[in-house]
Amino acid sequence: MRLLHIFFIIVLIFNFNLIKADEIETENKIAKNLRCLICQGQSVYDSDSEFALSLKLVISNKISEGMTEEQIYSFLKKKYGEWILYDPVLNKNTYFLWLMPLLIFLVGGAIIIKKFYIRK
Amino acid sequence: MIGSYSLNFGLFFSFFIIFFSINNLKNAENLDKKIISFTFLQFFFVIISFVGLIVSFINSDFSNETVFNHSHTTKPLFYKISGTWGNHEGSLLLWLLVLTLFVFIFLLKSDRQPKNYRIFTLLFQQIIIIGFFVFLIKTSSPFNFIFPVPEEGLGLNPILQDPALAIHPPILYLGYVGSSIIFSSALAAMVSSYVSKEWAKHIKQWVLVSWIFLTLGILLGSVWAYYELGWGGFWFWDPVENVSLMPWFALTTLLHCILVLEKKGILTSWAMVLSIATFALSMSGTFLVRSGILNSVHTFANDPERGLFILIFLFSLIFLSIFIFFFFHKDKEKTENNFFWLSKETSILVNNWFMMYFLSVVLIGTIYPIFLEVLTSNKISVGPPFYNKLILPLLIPFLFAMAIGPKLKWIKSDFQDKLNMLLLLIISFLISALIIKEFDISFLVNTILVSSAFFLFFVTLREFFIKKLKNLSQNVAHFGFSLLILSILLNNIFSTEVITNLKIGETFKSDKFSINFANIVQENGKNFKSIIGKFKVEHEDGSIDALRPELRIYNQPNIVTSEADIKTNFFTDKFITMNYVQNQEYFNIRYQVKPLMIWIWISVLLLSFGGLMSMFKKRYEI
Repeated sequence: MRLLHIFFIIVLIFNFNLIKADEIETENKIAKNLRCLICQGQSVYDSDSEFALSLKLVISNKISEGMTEEQIYSFLKKKYGEWILYDPVLNKNTYFLWLMPLLIFLVGGAIIIKKFYIRK
Repeated sequence: MIGSYSLNFGLFFSFFIIFFSINNLKNAENLDKKIISFTFLQFFFVIISFVGLIVSFINSDFSNETVFNHSHTTKPLFYKISGTWGNHEGSLLLWLLVLTLFVFIFLLKSDRQPKNYRIFTLLFQQIIIIGFFVFLIKTSSPFNFIFPVPEEGLGLNPILQDPALAIHPPILYLGYVGSSIIFSSALAAMVSSYVSKEWAKHIKQWVLVSWIFLTLGILLGSVWAYYELGWGGFWFWDPVENVSLMPWFALTTLLHCILVLEKKGILTSWAMVLSIATFALSMSGTFLVRSGILNSVHTFANDPERGLFILIFLFSLIFLSIFIFFFFHKDKEKTENNFFWLSKETSILVNNWFMMYFLSVVLIGTIYPIFLEVLTSNKISVGPPFYNKLILPLLIPFLFAMAIGPKLKWIKSDFQDKLNMLLLLIISFLISALIIKEFDISFLVNTILVSSAFFLFFVTLREFFIKKLKNLSQNVAHFGFSLLILSILLNNIFSTEVITNLKIGETFKSDKFSINFANIVQENGKNFKSIIGKFKVEHEDGSIDALRPELRIYNQPNIVTSEADIKTNFFTDKFITMNYVQNQEYFNIRYQVKPLMIWIWISVLLLSFGGLMSMFKKRYEI
């Protein structure tokens, strides 16, 4: 019985560690995708400025409050504007940004095929 | 003083050269020797002015505004000299210097080419040179006086006081300016109807020169970013990095396209478009970085005169080239293309296709936010996730094509040694699956990406043994590229990092290693004081690394920089930085283990070495 107890505790600690590690990983992932607003071209993760440090705290608080990654992004977007997100969201402002390169790729392929491989 | 006069002289020579060239165009058989002497004199005057500026920097002559703004008496001599091109005015003078040097070399090296083609190239080149002279003299003269003469200068930004960054601009500029020769020569070839296999053969050397320097220039920049900026990354998809990558994509495309042109005389229009695009991208790149448009649109408004000049000059050049393209360029290609699906031509077209896609991703990602802000005043950031999402998936087919392409023959080809290729593919996949699985990062995309990189790696590696020096340069370059992608991928996947706050004497422990902050010592440099932290990192296997990151407090301007200490070996880099935590006795420590870093640098060196070998290759032998 006692053995079982210890076993349970070990499992619990082990899992707790895993959860904690997961949280840190998500926190880092989120911080890497955010612009440090007061720095020159650095992410929140890479910066040691006060802004970045406080933002890292905010992120870890939000994670422990149970917010998902997406929710945190949209929370920060509301607070600081889209400028903070390194991964621009797909909306009517960014259709061009996301779709144009793909369109160029398709059109380029089409031109090559038409010009060189379809016999007239 | 002398400097600014000789700049004006140089400008006058431009008009001399143009006048004589136009005369020469009409009535002589051979190129007038006088023209070559004039181009030399022009180069000579620019070099006098450049040396003049260097001397002012060395002597800390603060009556010169540029020196006052960017130098300081306590700066080490090496950085006084490199400070010459570490600012807007001086770097433009360097551009001009390389421009005049290259046009002189071009004239010397092209004596087997038709006279009119040479003269037209010279003329177009002079238009660019005049543009730069006027820009330099009118809006950004490096020789402005200050009176009364200040006692002391304002100093150079300390993060620029670094050996890699001291030679980074000249190397990069050699690449950029080389593309101006390609541009002028493409225009000249169109005007004098010389777009041909011979032209391709001739210009390929210049394409290679620019490509090698551009590659090395980008390498130096990212090595610098790696050890100086303190976060251990070497590429951040920052706009300033992107503008140097775009001409690289265009040049790489051109390099492959030129091969087809040289061999088969097709794709002429495409080669023209690429030549023009490469130069336009290089020039807008330099200007965008120098004028500060990229960081924010508002810096543009701070100096409307410079910005406006840039725009007008760039647009008139582009307009000129479009005009020439449509009115002079006749597509003499036979409409019938005699090659089949599986052929070397196809593989090069595929290369061009993907390269253009990568270029368009970077281009749109870099300039779209600027346009969006101007049009709708919405500020968005386009960062690494965007580029990763759009580039990485398409890297997979690209790498496969790169592995198979060079093995194909011109016109029509069968798959040769299918069995071996298949075997290598399976091996690559198994290795990648093992690596990725071992470290418990179960991403399908990662496995496939790494396998495709391994595939290219093995195929090119094998080529070294079966082809016996035939077409070695191409294989070296492709092998370098596979190594580059492989190292970057594995480095990305397996880098680990610890960020923690430590007091002197404290130890951070994790299950893999412990970091002991032993003590700090103070030392004095020439123009900075440094605080050096002594760290002992003990690993699982008992080995100990002593690392000494540094904080430098520069006197002028008064800026604190953090210098990383890096222990490099063949497998991993150990990277440590420390920073102040405000008003506390703690230091912020960032310790990173980054596998295969050195191979990233080596692979880029290999890549450019491949280019170098190709330059000295006697004959064309794909």
